[in-house]
Amino acid sequence: MTADATPALVEDRQRAAGPRVRKSSAYPRYLAGKVAGAAVSLLAVLVTSFFLFRLIPGDPVKTMTGGRQVSAEQLAAYREEFGLDLPLWRQFTDYCGKALTGDFGTSYQFRAPVVDKITEALPNTLLLTGTAFVLYTALGIILGTRSAWRHGRLGDRVNTGLALTLYSIPSFWLGLLLIIVLSVGIGPLPGMFPTGGMESGGEEGFAYVLDVAHHLVLPVVTLVAVEYGQTLLVTRSALLDEMGSDYLTTARAKGLRDDLVRRRHAVPNALLPTVTLIFINLGRTVAGVILVETVFSWPGLGGLFYQALSVPDLPLVQGLFFVFAAAVILMNTLADLVYPLLDPRVAR
Amino acid sequence: MGTNDQKRSLPHGLRLVALAGAAALTLTAGLATPLDPAPQQARAADDGKKVLTVAVAQSVDSLSPFLAVRLLSTSIHRLMYEYLTNYDPKDNHAIPGLATKWEPSPDKLTWTYTIRANSTWSDGEQATAEDAAWTFNKMMTDTGAATANGSYVGNFRKVTAPSPTKLVIELKKPQATMAALDVPIVPKHVWEKVSDFSEFNNDKSFPVVGNGPFVLSGYKADSYVRLKANKDFWRGSPKFDELVFRYYKDQDAAVSALRKGEVSFVAGSPSLTPAQAESLKGADDIQVNDAPGRRFYALATNPGAKAKNGKKFGDGHPSLLDQRVRNALFRAVDREAIIDKVFRGHAVEGEGYIPPRFQDYFWKPSADRKLAYDPAEAARLLDQAGYKKNGDGKRVGKDGKPITYRVLCHATDPNDKAVGKYLQEWWGELGIGVRLNCLDNVTDPWLAGTYDLAFDGWSVNPDPDFVLSIHTCGALPATPKDTGATDNFICDKKYDELYARQLTEYDPAKRADIVKQMESRLYDLGYMNVMAYPNAVEAFRTDQIKSITTMPAKAGNIYGQDGYWSWWSAVPADSGGSSDNASSTGVVVGIVAGLVILGGLGAFAAMRRRATAEERE
Amino acid sequence: MTTTAETAPSPRALARQRRRASVARFWRQYRSERAGLYGLTVLALCALLALFAPLFVGSDVSSVTDAPGRPMQSPSAEFPLGTDQFGRDLLGLVIWGSRVSLLVGLLAAVLSVAIGTLIGVTAGHFKGWYATVMMRVTDWFLVMPTLVLAIALATVMSRSLTTTVVAIGVTTWPTTARLVRAQTLAVETRPYIERAQALGGGHWHVMSRHVLPNVMPLVLAQTTLIISSAILAEATLAFLGLGDPTVVSWGGLLQDAREAGAVSAGDWWYLVPPGIAIAVVALAFTLCGRAVEAVLNPRLGVSR
Repeated sequence: MTADATPALVEDRQRAAGPRVRKSSAYPRYLAGKVAGAAVSLLAVLVTSFFLFRLIPGDPVKTMTGGRQVSAEQLAAYREEFGLDLPLWRQFTDYCGKALTGDFGTSYQFRAPVVDKITEALPNTLLLTGTAFVLYTALGIILGTRSAWRHGRLGDRVNTGLALTLYSIPSFWLGLLLIIVLSVGIGPLPGMFPTGGMESGGEEGFAYVLDVAHHLVLPVVTLVAVEYGQTLLVTRSALLDEMGSDYLTTARAKGLRDDLVRRRHAVPNALLPTVTLIFINLGRTVAGVILVETVFSWPGLGGLFYQALSVPDLPLVQGLFFVFAAAVILMNTLADLVYPLLDPRVAR
Repeated sequence: MGTNDQKRSLPHGLRLVALAGAAALTLTAGLATPLDPAPQQARAADDGKKVLTVAVAQSVDSLSPFLAVRLLSTSIHRLMYEYLTNYDPKDNHAIPGLATKWEPSPDKLTWTYTIRANSTWSDGEQATAEDAAWTFNKMMTDTGAATANGSYVGNFRKVTAPSPTKLVIELKKPQATMAALDVPIVPKHVWEKVSDFSEFNNDKSFPVVGNGPFVLSGYKADSYVRLKANKDFWRGSPKFDELVFRYYKDQDAAVSALRKGEVSFVAGSPSLTPAQAESLKGADDIQVNDAPGRRFYALATNPGAKAKNGKKFGDGHPSLLDQRVRNALFRAVDREAIIDKVFRGHAVEGEGYIPPRFQDYFWKPSADRKLAYDPAEAARLLDQAGYKKNGDGKRVGKDGKPITYRVLCHATDPNDKAVGKYLQEWWGELGIGVRLNCLDNVTDPWLAGTYDLAFDGWSVNPDPDFVLSIHTCGALPATPKDTGATDNFICDKKYDELYARQLTEYDPAKRADIVKQMESRLYDLGYMNVMAYPNAVEAFRTDQIKSITTMPAKAGNIYGQDGYWSWWSAVPADSGGSSDNASSTGVVVGIVAGLVILGGLGAFAAMRRRATAEERE
Repeated sequence: MTTTAETAPSPRALARQRRRASVARFWRQYRSERAGLYGLTVLALCALLALFAPLFVGSDVSSVTDAPGRPMQSPSAEFPLGTDQFGRDLLGLVIWGSRVSLLVGLLAAVLSVAIGTLIGVTAGHFKGWYATVMMRVTDWFLVMPTLVLAIALATVMSRSLTTTVVAIGVTTWPTTARLVRAQTLAVETRPYIERAQALGGGHWHVMSRHVLPNVMPLVLAQTTLIISSAILAEATLAFLGLGDPTVVSWGGLLQDAREAGAVSAGDWWYLVPPGIAIAVVALAFTLCGRAVEAVLNPRLGVSR
């Protein structure tokens, strides 16, 4: 079938196989190529973010002043303030010029620099996704390895079955159920976790850290549950591929213990394709967290994006879209760069 | 190789889990700590400080009173700054605020306010007439400062402060609403340093100087707004030491938080759903406050959008210009069913324009004029108007095409969608199609007049001037390019005459009478059909709040009052009250649970490993 | 290729015969995938339920004015799954909702795979600048955060089923395009393609007669897998309030439940069934997709 012999699930099966570096090409050239490619992608995202959201019906100035009596002159003044009176191409060049210097303009509804609003929410999103990412990657790799090693047995079947089932569950639904069961409490079970938000407010020092960690539990569990399956399946199938290899048979024939063979030989090699997936996941989770943030009232980028779309708060929407896409591009590029360094089979 | 392959070593998997856990914790700690901008004195000690926590969902648009328009932000400004006047919690009449007294000159064009001498800013300075004059003048001269409340000063000619206790406002023409100027008065000595009012959000340095019952002491976007009691407030210090608005973007999360005691009060936006109210009624220590609301919920009709210069725009269905059609449509709306099924009793059937809560201005049609639910009569009216059914049972317009109305609805309002489904079926019976056009942001089609009917609703103020003004011809946009204050482009001569008369009528009873005539006119026109007055359904914990003032005092609401009465008057319950206890036991339970889960995982991993090892050896 | 035998039936009959044989072979192998069979059975049941829903529930279930119960009744003999906020029978609604959810999932997946196949085949067949441009576009779509893009598209267009289908279809095609292109490149190196071209077969002939049949199995597997994510995506968009509020779908039911406050009221019967329905169907499609994939590419070893 295809040359890509890895993941079983739809997304990223192509990319997760890792880039192929031609033997003749030297790493620095490869690196330059990848970085240039990423730069082009970023520019493309910049362009899209500008034009895509101009299609949203709604005049932002009218929305902002909605319900109040505003004369044509005042509307014009607002348009001028936000640069909406200029021809589209001028708005576009202004936008690009400023964006390149890291200025995404001023949010219409918050009247604050977009960059400020984003830097306010970004750490919260990173905290949530970062924690979840570490856990689901670890869980996926561990369970995937076990599953592959005992493949075909009951343990494997339960493992893959569970992973596939959780993967098929809508994350927002799981989040709501967790809130009902663990947060509100059901029957004799008391509610153990906060229902939403990131902090109770007013805590300080270590109590604050504990408080945030406490708020973090349910959203993280939700994310881990729906995300670990993919890593598990990819690790498992990569390892299954690897296990057919002669050197493993040799290693086992030498009398090395299973555990050791697995840890020393099979896993490191099989992990190579997984590495790409891991990077890509990291980039994607930043945007994919929108649902979980909505359900758990997490004050992150997702909620901000959703709020900005309904105005439409164009500068904020554009800035956020850029951040979401840039995260993916950045991580993809990193994966591309790291992969040849890790894979001894790829000549450098 | 090493010693790692010995049985007793920490199983590989477990080690990884532990590592990941540690990493996650480090990440938490590392990222979380520098994120905490909250002023630390807020929780200086658990010395029995009484904290009132309110769940909110709406983001703050700005903390500058010159920019803020959202309900939450303006409510917070009520708490931070004293206004010239306030409204009596019992019956909504204007009472002293920063001004102790106000009176018009005989020619009705000059108003003189006496400013109280016992109100001080939280930095110790005296609040004077000079502050008020400066605030109004700023709004009159700086367009940035006029962003939010510019309309209040539109009719002002000149504002001066001849003495620290005397404020004089000269008007261009008489205005009956001078005791209802809902403008926060800010301290001049702080605000005159602001250079650009359109950019300054007042959210960088805390505490923010104010003279209201509370002082803003901390804010983190979409996380919390924190206010400290102003012990020197002239009307008396609030009973709670601290007031915190905490964010729950999800209403279910807010309700659950109330159940658990994480918050003391939840109002919902705009109110709790019937299901939530039912379930909370049975809960311990929770009281549901189901109060007559100040909102009306209506079906607005597009009367053919036009501008003041006579230019028509938009594309409202021409059949709706026939009053018989509008009345027929409304007669096919079973309002009792809406109250019963959609609001499940948490609303009152709609009649006149202004909700019965404002008794002085409430008007309802007499029995013979009432457009009661009567589908047969509706069908008759439509036949009479010449919109007959075709072979398929669909009514046809004058252009020969079957009629399908586009109904504009707010995608964020479940009631719009629910009532929309009923309309589809009721009007479907009449032979009229309905296409629900639900949008997050309805402003654009609304202002452009590109709809046939729309779900509409306004919160009515104690002074009804605003909600009346939005149906005058004067509120129409000057040209199709402008934005008018108009709600749905109604322009009626008779109504306008009445409006002008009430605005210059300084006698309350006479003014109320004119207002009722306006409502009657509006009812007959049939462009604004009030279906219901939704209740304000909110709930609070009785083990945290002992008592709280509703507005109006009898059967009133708590959140979004005109004035600061609820939070200022709230008395903490003796039983500990503050929500800290609940949350810290929660932390303990949560951590224990987390450890159990981790332990379980570890045990699982260990067992799995042993199983492998046994098989092998 | 070797159709010169003396007693040969017409080439068309031969082709049909060959195709039948390969379908039979495929089915034999598929049968050995137990998980795939479970998935297929569940899907068959769901499809039957959805197809014959009008016979035993009828469109009346979605009527609000004729709702038989009181709002939010808990499960009883009369309403096995309770009632919704309008007093409608939830069991009936879940069955009725399957029609929209499955239809949207199917259409979105077909749209997605169609775009992907078209771009993949053409980019693989025509090389040069066209392929370069197309693969750039594909790569670029690949890095776009799918959900964010779908939300943006759904916001840009008006709320309808078409919008949902388009928003999902337009954002999920790039993986298919890349897979199909790789396969096309592989197919086109085979000698008979060269022969066909030498015999005067044009681009269209080569692509439709030779390349397409060869990528079809891959496309089939891809469709099955994408339906699963499309059904999830439909639920997600409906849940975020971006679906058509007047049609009954599983995601829409969840959104209704949430808006009605079922979560904090503890009305689990309103929330649990649509979610389970989504998960079961999505899982079934995933299992089928994996089974198909395993049959076509045994080396994958995914579900053995």
